[in-house]
Amino acid sequence: MVVCTRNDVRVSGVPDGRPMVFAHGYGCDQNMWRFVVSDFEVDHRVVTFDHVGFGQSDLSAYDPVKYNSLRGYAADVVEMLRELELTDVVFVGHSVSAMIGVLAYLEAPERFGVLVMVGPSARYVDDGDYAGGFSREQIRELLDSLDANQLGWSAAMAPAIMGNPDRPELAAELTNSFCRTSPDVARQFARVSFLSDNRADLPRVQVPTLVLQCSQDVIAPESAGRYVHEHVLGSAFTQLAATGHCPNLSAPEETAAAIRAFLQ
Amino acid sequence: MPDAERRSGSDVRAQLDQLLEDDPADLYENAPCGYLSTLPDGRIVKVNRTFCAWTGRTPEQLLHTRLRDVLSVGGQVFHDTHLAPLLRMQGAVREVALDVVRVDGSLLPCLVNAVELRDDTGAPLMVRATLFEATARRRYERDILAAHRAAEESEARSRTLQQVVSELARATTVSDVATVVVEQARGALRARGAALWLVTDRAAGEADRPSLVVARSDGLPDGLLAELATAAEGRVALELAEGLRTLVLGDRLTAQRPRLAAAMADAGLHSLVVVPVSAASRALGVLVLALGEARAGDLIDLDQPVPGELSARDVDLLWTLGRQAGQALERAQLHEETARQGERSAFLLDAARLLAGAAGVEEMVERLAGLAVSGLADVCMIDLVTEHGVRRVGARHADPARQHLVDELREWAPPARDLPYPARQALNLRRTQWFPVIAPDWLESAVRDPRELAAVQGLELASIVAVPLVAEGQALGVVTLSADRRRGGFTAADVDVAEQLAAQLSLVMAKAQRYEFESRTSHTLQANLLPPPPPEVPGIAVAVRYLAATRGVEVGGDFYDVAPLPGGQVAIAVGDVVGHDITAAATMGQLRSVYRSLLVESPAPSAVIDRLQASWPLLGLQRLATALFATLDLTSGRLRIASAGHPPPLLLTGGRAEYLPVRPSPMLGAPPAPAQEWTGVLPPGATLVLFTDGLVESRADDIDAGLARLRASAVRTATSDPDELCDRLLSDLAGSHRADDIALLALTRAR
Repeated sequence: MVVCTRNDVRVSGVPDGRPMVFAHGYGCDQNMWRFVVSDFEVDHRVVTFDHVGFGQSDLSAYDPVKYNSLRGYAADVVEMLRELELTDVVFVGHSVSAMIGVLAYLEAPERFGVLVMVGPSARYVDDGDYAGGFSREQIRELLDSLDANQLGWSAAMAPAIMGNPDRPELAAELTNSFCRTSPDVARQFARVSFLSDNRADLPRVQVPTLVLQCSQDVIAPESAGRYVHEHVLGSAFTQLAATGHCPNLSAPEETAAAIRAFLQ
Repeated sequence: MPDAERRSGSDVRAQLDQLLEDDPADLYENAPCGYLSTLPDGRIVKVNRTFCAWTGRTPEQLLHTRLRDVLSVGGQVFHDTHLAPLLRMQGAVREVALDVVRVDGSLLPCLVNAVELRDDTGAPLMVRATLFEATARRRYERDILAAHRAAEESEARSRTLQQVVSELARATTVSDVATVVVEQARGALRARGAALWLVTDRAAGEADRPSLVVARSDGLPDGLLAELATAAEGRVALELAEGLRTLVLGDRLTAQRPRLAAAMADAGLHSLVVVPVSAASRALGVLVLALGEARAGDLIDLDQPVPGELSARDVDLLWTLGRQAGQALERAQLHEETARQGERSAFLLDAARLLAGAAGVEEMVERLAGLAVSGLADVCMIDLVTEHGVRRVGARHADPARQHLVDELREWAPPARDLPYPARQALNLRRTQWFPVIAPDWLESAVRDPRELAAVQGLELASIVAVPLVAEGQALGVVTLSADRRRGGFTAADVDVAEQLAAQLSLVMAKAQRYEFESRTSHTLQANLLPPPPPEVPGIAVAVRYLAATRGVEVGGDFYDVAPLPGGQVAIAVGDVVGHDITAAATMGQLRSVYRSLLVESPAPSAVIDRLQASWPLLGLQRLATALFATLDLTSGRLRIASAGHPPPLLLTGGRAEYLPVRPSPMLGAPPAPAQEWTGVLPPGATLVLFTDGLVESRADDIDAGLARLRASAVRTATSDPDELCDRLLSDLAGSHRADDIALLALTRAR
């Protein structure tokens, strides 16, 4: 189970229920889904995981070439679905993982039943008439400022933080533990997340898709969510009352209810 | 401890107690850190004065706005993606760095600690946050970060330069240099493609204009390369290369060069950067980099947001690269030139040897064409001017497998057609025509029909030099050398060699052609001077032969003559004017005419000699001559012979051969003495052989040995057919290398 160790894959819920895979986005790790998954564990087979470089994933598997594109992350998702032999999957991707889901779907469409995109954006940088929400200057400032926050990271502590799932107490001792990763990984993931352009991939999606749009989301503004909705043929668009970029934490009930409504 | 101090200490304690008992609200409001409380959705519900003072806002302005809304863009994103989630997940965050935007727009760097207050069910009630000013610390961190980044960039740059320098040092050929420059520049600027154009001395069709030729290109589509070549043709690239320039795809370019703009758009490029490549202010070429938007799958490039604007660092790097490339190119060119110079000297030496050893013009030209394609060129065509017009004498390809391509072109070459354009121009203008680069469209315009174009295209010509062959102001022909794409263009030095070769060839050819002309003239003259075949004379059978010398001018002073005389007589003569040149031939002609005129009176042979001797000074003949005159009575066989310094005739009879003892008088033109006559009978069936000394003389031995060989040969032949006899005698005695002419006459009396 190479993938399961590498990506710290956790499976819960009903073993013969419809598989739901929750992918965390830019920021923290699979704990982001902790308030949502409880809702689905009662009747679904729930899978959560960490992208390589985050949470309890295997840091030694981090390959700067592979992960210099969202395709690298998508390849891991496809590998995981194959290893777990999942089909008709409800893939719930938050933030940048919405596009990772699109790329994984295009790689292995036979595995997917539904795509749920929470706060998606196909491109964060404005481009002509396209409003991604950020100018190039803002993205540059953003990437610079992220360097100022290496949450709870130090090289000496790295072995304790990463790749030591047998001793969770080590990790628990550390502050900001759910969002910490090595500075190099953090910087590259930020670049890959904010500098990708997946607009051309959207029209190729041919699976039932739900776009969940938060209110007052500075990261994925409504124009970005609308763009995704308009370019994925037949997709549904649900506007959430939840504010900010993380409704899975700030409004887990509303988020779960919206997904459930779409699935039924 | 003194009392005074003790008392003072208790005063301080009292003051301290006073301060500590002050309103905790004052502590909250004026604490040395910012305090604020927000609802779970981020809206501020309480904020202290310190934070208000720091940000320049009133409490009223801050209340009910969200903390996120007073953060910088990076802070907003970090708040939403890290701080807020962490608070939900672990209830607290520590030392998160955020920038608060002051009311005047300036940034206040802060470190934030926050806790989330929850109710019994774990639902969030409120967030309390403290903010510490971290300006100095952040500045320090940023300085470190900036220094780190600058070091990384400068390291990347110096790594690129270092690699360029070391790879250029290893490059010994122009092609190596071009490869290094193109690949490194392309990599350093993450360009879509790059190409290096080098200046050649002259452009095809325009003898005095420098042009550019692609030395190496990488990642540029053919269409764009072709458009750039056109631009270079118009010297746009060269003019641009006066400085490092950027050519941006836009309205101006579209208006000025619509096709180039279209090619750029097709290739997804937004700009071209033209970098001068020079050494010691000598422009050697230009490096062109093609920059475009990121491809699908690539990350958006923040470093090149504005097409056409290069960073100062990139400009510096490119300038340095251009100069380094220029120096390396100059070195490589010098290196190649030295090597080629050696080859050229050896080549010219070979050519000189070859020209010295050749026998005739055509052989020389054939061999020279062979030599030219062994080193200097891939194709060599030599067309010569002859009296019947221009003829293609030599046409060679270096690769025997491609010789047929050259042969096919004969259909469009003289004498079938006029010369091809370069050769025609060279011959007409009597000036070398050099085409360092052959552009496809130029080729199309230069050839005359589609089939010729197809044949020429098969040769994949890259460069042509046509050099006229001129000697003593006369155009003798033209040598056309071509190089194909594998070899590349001819350089100025190649052209020098071609011109030197042509000069050598012209000189030798002029000499040889003059010689051949004289030789042909002599032949014509001699053909007229030589008597017609001997007349049929009843009672005798006569055979005559004339062989010119194999060396020198092919004309001789030898002659023979057979003339029937009234009264059943026949007059026979064989003579030899000294020398074998035009003068000798002319003297012989005169001698024969005078002799013929003497025959009117049917004089005796000795009388012929005496009269000729007497009239010699009057005739103004400049040469001496030997001759043998005879008369034969056809009825009786009576034979009278007189000799003027001539070898004796040979009589063949009854299987025996003997020289008739004719006593020679002095040579014609020498101080005379009365001629003596031999008289005898030519028996029926006997054969009389008259000859000139060319038949019996040889460099190896004296004339007596020659006479003995002749007699032996005649005896061996044992034939009564004079024709057969002549053939046998010549085959036995006349070698393939004859120093002198030979006249031979055999006369057999019928039985």
